[in-house]
Amino acid sequence: MRRSIVNDPDQLVPEALEGFVLSHPARLALDAEHRFVRRAEPATGKVGLVSGGGSGHEPLHAGFVGPGMLDVAVAGAVFASPTALQVLEATKAADSGHGVVQIVKNYTGDVLNFRIAGEISGDDQVETEIVLVDDDLATDTADGGGPGRRGTAATVIVEKVCGAAAEEGQDLAAVAEVGRRAAASARTMSLALTAGTHPGDEEPQFALGDDEVELGVGIHGERAARRVPFTSADGLTDLLLDPLLEELGLERGTEVLAIVNGLGGTYPLELNLVARRLHHRLGDAGLAVGRSLVGSYVTSLDMHGVSLTLMPLDEELRRLWDAPVQTPALTW
Amino acid sequence: MTDHALHDDFGRLVVTTLRESLEGAAPALGDLDRRAGDGDFGDNVRVAMKNLGRELEGGEPADYRGWVTAMSRAWLGVGGTSGPLFGMFYRDLARAAGDGEVPDLAALAEALAAGQAVVQKYGEAEVGDRTMVDALAPAVTALREAAGSGADAVHALGAAEKAAIDAAKGTAELTARRGRASYVGDSAKGVMDPGACAMALVVGALRAAAGADGGEVRADWIG
Repeated sequence: MRRSIVNDPDQLVPEALEGFVLSHPARLALDAEHRFVRRAEPATGKVGLVSGGGSGHEPLHAGFVGPGMLDVAVAGAVFASPTALQVLEATKAADSGHGVVQIVKNYTGDVLNFRIAGEISGDDQVETEIVLVDDDLATDTADGGGPGRRGTAATVIVEKVCGAAAEEGQDLAAVAEVGRRAAASARTMSLALTAGTHPGDEEPQFALGDDEVELGVGIHGERAARRVPFTSADGLTDLLLDPLLEELGLERGTEVLAIVNGLGGTYPLELNLVARRLHHRLGDAGLAVGRSLVGSYVTSLDMHGVSLTLMPLDEELRRLWDAPVQTPALTW
Repeated sequence: MTDHALHDDFGRLVVTTLRESLEGAAPALGDLDRRAGDGDFGDNVRVAMKNLGRELEGGEPADYRGWVTAMSRAWLGVGGTSGPLFGMFYRDLARAAGDGEVPDLAALAEALAAGQAVVQKYGEAEVGDRTMVDALAPAVTALREAAGSGADAVHALGAAEKAAIDAAKGTAELTARRGRASYVGDSAKGVMDPGACAMALVVGALRAAAGADGGEVRADWIG
């Protein structure tokens, strides 16, 4: 049985947002009615960036609000899309007259509500562009049918490069374009040793045997297509890396941006073992980790697992990744 | 005032009549959804009506467009799929009249048609897929015909209401292809689609509000 630090499960998200913004008074402000977090000092003279989605993936998205990244992050209930009205008000709040890029993880509810909010915000002369993040290799279907690949940890990359492009003064179409380019070239694979547990629930979302690993897991506790035998850290890393390298088909000499991402219940020590194996394997293959993040950035409640994201770097993406950023969860 | 014109209080009466009938029907609509969907539609209706109360807290809207826009925002503030789709439907219904104006029957028919189109676009639903579209499509056809033949507003909207109710009842024989009911397949057979039933109540509220003194919307056919 798992216990949670929670008052009323129905008030978990608004209470958490309140606490988060109270902890960053100089940086962040809260719209409690529409449940979005915005910069305390709204930016002007640049394209606005709004993202959001269900809660339970923290620090995504509110942790990435600040100079160099998002203007506004809007929060739904745990694993549920924010409503179209929330997204509409968040989108309008992100606009300073130069249009708004909406960064949306590819899930049916999120896409529907962001598209609708984008259409309605046109009534208030707010121009919008949607960038869909769909990096999850495990949900790639050969025929391209169905809802398509899910959006997972590459969201951090897309929010970062779009944020930097907007700060550089690029226009709405250009900011959206670089986001789409990053999303199209990044792929992620994830695995779980234990599923996450909803706040207030006593049992994880699905059960796994001691000798089993869920391979290709999503960030909402949905089951994966494959269950494989448990193995060492190096072996687990290879389970993620092999299909990624096969899919991306990188030429020798390519530098990649890598995110070794904990899914909520993974130690930093464990993540470092994955990073170690990643560096060794890429080096052996004549590839290089040009830039990397190792930590828990896109989580699934307290899921004990890890995801690995790879994106080949070029000059523009490297420049935008390296640009300054000051947010609660990412700063350099 | 021609027979096609609607009275100045039309917008307020549409929304207040609809609010009353949806609140009354919420348990029956929720029951239908539990039998043939994911069971959240009754709660969605209750949340929408709570949101509507909040939209109206700041004072009553000045015109038809303001009243129906309040209903639109109320539904856009509801989760799931039905919330945003109803929200977009009401947004088009609100556009039947400009600021400070009252719609005529032809504009109302075209607004309903635009609402049908936007629901089909975002919901990716066709007629016959066992959704709110099934009640809306025949109501649009009936209202266009009646408006074209010179019927007065109450009778024209009455014909549209009858068409919507008949079609909503007919959804009991349809198999869902879209919406959560698609996951339960043929076990939904014999159960009306709650979205289609709610849409029939909308058309009923338009009919009731067209009478100068308002009127009631029959919902006893739902359950």
